[in-house]
Formats: sequence, C-alpha cells, structure tokens
Amino acid sequence: MTPCIRTMPKILQILGLATISAWTFAVCAVALPAPGMVRIADGTYRPFFRAAGDPKEVPVKAFALDILPVTNGEFLEFVRTHPQWQKSRVKHLFADESYLKNWAGDLDPGTNAPLKAPVTFVSWFAAKAYAKSHGKRLPTVAEWEYAALAGPTRPDGENDPEFKRRVYQWYVTPSPAKIGPVGLDQPNFWGVHDLHGLVWEWVADFNTALVTGDARGDNGLDRQLFCGAGSQGARDVENFPAFMRYGFRSSLKADYCVHNLGFRCAKDL
Amino acid sequence: MKTKCILASATLLLVAAALATEEPATNCVHRSCCAPIEAAKPLADKSLYQLDTIWTNDAGKTVKLDSLRGRPQVIAMFFASCQYTCPLLVSRLKQLEAGLPATFHGKVGFTLVSFDSQRDTPAALQIYRTQHALSTNSWTLLEGDADGVLDLAAVLGVKFKQDTQGNFTHSNLITLLNSEGEIVYQQVDLNPDDSNLARRIEQLTAH
Repeated sequence: MTPCIRTMPKILQILGLATISAWTFAVCAVALPAPGMVRIADGTYRPFFRAAGDPKEVPVKAFALDILPVTNGEFLEFVRTHPQWQKSRVKHLFADESYLKNWAGDLDPGTNAPLKAPVTFVSWFAAKAYAKSHGKRLPTVAEWEYAALAGPTRPDGENDPEFKRRVYQWYVTPSPAKIGPVGLDQPNFWGVHDLHGLVWEWVADFNTALVTGDARGDNGLDRQLFCGAGSQGARDVENFPAFMRYGFRSSLKADYCVHNLGFRCAKDL
Repeated sequence: MKTKCILASATLLLVAAALATEEPATNCVHRSCCAPIEAAKPLADKSLYQLDTIWTNDAGKTVKLDSLRGRPQVIAMFFASCQYTCPLLVSRLKQLEAGLPATFHGKVGFTLVSFDSQRDTPAALQIYRTQHALSTNSWTLLEGDADGVLDLAAVLGVKFKQDTQGNFTHSNLITLLNSEGEIVYQQVDLNPDDSNLARRIEQLTAH
C-alpha cells in the first residue's frame, strides 16, 4: 500500500466525493504505465475452475496492460526487424503451417489483414517474442481474467447485467471471416478495449489450464470440464464465457495459429 | 516387404553389435568424433534443439539443449522434491534403459529437466543423481529459469502448475527425440506398458 492510496479516500471524502473506492486506485497511479498501456490495480482473481487444494482467490498484483490488442500493422513492424518471424522464414517448431495465413506476403499483410485489425494466426511463441521485443510479456490467465472481468463502469462486471449480456452475445456469435479494427468498442473500467468482442487472446500460462491437484488425474479435469455434470465444480455455472475461454485455452498448443486468436502484452509496474 | 525390413534390421543389429565389440561404448556416448560434423548441419525445422534457453546441469555446467544432439534422447520433466509420480517415472525410465538390448546401451540418452527453478539447484540435482543411481554416461539432469521451463513444456505439450506449497502438478509425458531433437514418439501418462517406447528407441538407435 502506498501512502497515496491510503490517504486518497479521505481527501475525496473531505471534498465530498466519496464515490467508488476503486476510483482512487485509478487516480492514484503510483507507477505510470508505458504509452498505450493502462495500470490495472491490485485485485483478486477467483479462478473459474478449481481443483481440490487450489486457492479460492488468487491475488493479482497491479500491472500494466495494453489498451488494445496487437494489430497487423504493429506486427508488420516487428517482423521487419525480426525477420526470423516472417511468414516464410518461421521455424515450425514455433508456429504451425497456418502462421500469418491471412497475410499476402512476408512484409505485406494485404487486404485480408487490415493494418488496424488485430493480428491473428500467430502462435504463442510468436506472441511471446513480440512482447519480449517491446520489453513486455504476455499477461497471465489471472491477470487477463481479472482485467476482463471489468465492465464499462465497474471493475466487477459480473454484477453488471447489461455488460454480461453483451459479452454473452459475442461468445455465441461465430467470428466473421474478416475481423474488424481494434478500439471501436466502449473501453472497460480500466480503459482497456476489446477484451471481449473481437478475438481470443493468448496468455503466458495457457498450458496450466488443465492440471488438477493430482498429477495422476490430469485427464479427469478434462472430463469434468466438458461433461455436463462436471460444470457443477465451476465457481459460477452461469459464467458461460469463462467456461468457453477455459475450454479453448486447454485445447491450445503453443505452435497453434488460429484465425480468431490474437494477443496483447502486459508489463510489470 | 516385411521380411526384408526384418532382415535389414537384423543386419543392422549385427553391424551395431560388431561395432560395439570393436570400440568401447564410451566413444559413442561422448560422440566427440561426430560432433563437429553434426553441428555444421542446420537444425531441422521442428527440432527442439532450436530453443535457446541456457540450462545448468548437475555438474554446474551451462548448456543449451543442442548439446544433446547426436544420439536419441528420452526426455521427461520432473522436480526433485516430487513425492508422487516423478520417482515412479524415473524408476520406469531406469527399467526401460536396463531392458534395452546390451548393444543399445549408451546409444540413447535420458534427460530429466526440472520444473523447479527455485529449489532444484545443481547441487540438488547432484543429490538426486546419486540417490537414484543415474549413470553419467546416459543421464542428463538440467535446471533453468522459469521462462525456459515454460518454453520447453510448451514444445513438449507438458502441462504444469505450481501450487501454493511450491510443488508442481504436471502431466507425466515421456518424449523420445531423435538424434536431431525432433519428437518421434510420446507416451502419455505412466503407461504400465513401455514396450512401444522401447521398440521406438531400438528402431532409432539401430539406424
């Protein structure tokens, strides 16, 4: 806790502005995030699905998150300076055959991959390398889910029926063939765009999604996640989007390149 | 066709046996004769040896995975303080090694890579080697930073997670790499029947 955060509510009260306490976190940015990023304040992530012995709540330390998903235009700059990540040169240990499939050429995204649209058909390794080249990293599951929980007006979007309805809508709508530009939606409480509604996003620890408390029972959770009865083990059986994200992550492999899977970067503060 | 294959492998076996009797096995283990030639060739597109993580072995020496190049490797991830499946995994691999025909001994390596960047120091790995009587000729024990562990797990398809006590829950995946570091076979879980894996090793080392 910084003195700033402790004293701020008092100041606000004096000013007669005792509103949402979380506002003070936003106002009180102790460490300024890099341009294009916002600070996501300390919080708690409640895992959607827990194995026996897993903590009920995971503390999330304040971090910086990209406001927008990485675009084709930004990725083009990256492959220009990191030729080993160009479409024709990539090592297939790190990206499958679909890598940048919608691009016209090594240095030409072409009409199917507009510069302002999120880059997709990128592997976990490619996303990680991009982040590293910017002195950033991929967000963890906990960080991503915590940031994505926020609705437009409050950090706990699960208590905002209208926000929940809109998120649901996207998850049940198939992705269009051509994905639109980033940043057109209403930003969430933290000022972050497109966490829902545009593309799925890679996280650093995607490959921890399906491990149970018992190493011998790895496949058990698979069944729990996908059989109807198993959903009773989930924290919030109504949270269908979280359920889908877990299912999706657990189906990924680090070299997979998928048409509706992109990424954004995070950074320690 | 089948008989031809069997004949061919039988011939190879004989050649291998003849070679093995002519030269001491240690020659093959260190591969000093072949290393420069192998290194000159670029790594295959899907070779795991392209990972550039710097690992430390139990002797405290820093190595890259491509130092394993030159002979097939059976690779698994573990952590030394694991009380459950890792000891079982290691004893299975030892049994597998012991069960290989004598002519293959030393021609396949066994590599254990730790999940535990914090506790599995080279000294801890050295103790582990002694406790489990893992020969220095065949067995490589490695530890590295958390990011390297994540990358390796990702290419192998190993899922893992650290719990609040600092232990790791993980899948028990045994992977066989050819001498160039490409995955040729994977065995999921502690399958009580290792005969497929053993057969694959024999096929690889016979070539």
